[in-house]
Amino acid sequence: MAVRSTGVLPPFWTLVEAHGDELLVHARKLAGDEHGEDVLQDALLRALRAYPRLRHAEHLRAWLYRVVTSAAIDLHRRRRNEVVTDEPPVQATVDDYDDGAFEQLIEPLSEPTRAALRLRFVDDLDYEGIAARLGCSPAAARQRVSTAVRTLRESFA
Amino acid sequence: MTPLPESLLESVAAAAVREGLADAIFTRLNTPLGRLLVVQGPSGIIRIAFETEREDAVLAEIARTLGPNVIASDRELAPARDALSAYLEGDATQLELPVDLRLTTAPFRRVVLEELRSVPRGQTVSYGELARRAGNPRASRAVGSACARNPVPIVVPCHRVLPSTGRLGNYGGGPERKRVLLELEGAIPRSLRPT
Repeated sequence: MAVRSTGVLPPFWTLVEAHGDELLVHARKLAGDEHGEDVLQDALLRALRAYPRLRHAEHLRAWLYRVVTSAAIDLHRRRRNEVVTDEPPVQATVDDYDDGAFEQLIEPLSEPTRAALRLRFVDDLDYEGIAARLGCSPAAARQRVSTAVRTLRESFA
Repeated sequence: MTPLPESLLESVAAAAVREGLADAIFTRLNTPLGRLLVVQGPSGIIRIAFETEREDAVLAEIARTLGPNVIASDRELAPARDALSAYLEGDATQLELPVDLRLTTAPFRRVVLEELRSVPRGQTVSYGELARRAGNPRASRAVGSACARNPVPIVVPCHRVLPSTGRLGNYGGGPERKRVLLELEGAIPRSLRPT
């Protein structure tokens, strides 16, 4: 069922019923089969929190794709943080963490941009740390990461 | 493409309700009257639609009235589902569900529907008599349109309103559903019984 864009927001569930299947495919692509459903569930709740405040009813499908993308990136960051903080000093933690999904997500970007994103989300460095590694100012590092995230979101829209 | 698991959607719905994000919840229920769309708002059942109505139009009206966060959940509406199923399948003689009549904005129609709620199972009332009870004996035509646009049929029993001619009269869901409901309640007029 196609959801028409009008000035009035359609009932949220008509979007879920129209696009839910493809959003799950998208979530699995970003977060892996194992975490796809968690990402989608998180994304739908985030979408419900924001939906009544949307200022127009256009491009709702693209908007939902962006919400799923954000949820996938956040899950990735959370899991990375968990691994870092739980890591014993010598012995490597046994975990099922897989960078494949993240690398796949950032694959379309240029290598310098990918490097900035890895430093931010995989190595979990702050902008000072990223700046030091890239040899630029913290403001420039922040700019580079946020531009890259925006590009990623738009590429899934 | 693997379809979306029902359990995922139910989890989203449950979390949304817990967080107070849902403006309305709906469910689809198969009954002897066909498929019903049942919508619950913050203070009760706000809408029941027979399958003769377009679902997207019904839900769009709910979104305009209560807000756009309209979600589906069989589990959250389990009490209403159970009550309606039991009543329509003849396992229960009472149907008591909280009702929200805010979709009926015209004041007289609202009074008519409120009055109608006190017509018990097994009894019927004429359009004229209901007009009198609602405070305007000459308004039987307006009573007719109040019933025709009853947003919560079955629970607000507009099927119990009959023309004084002894015929079945009109019904929002079609006369056949009216007959089924009246037969279920043992209130089919003598003139309409099979001879």
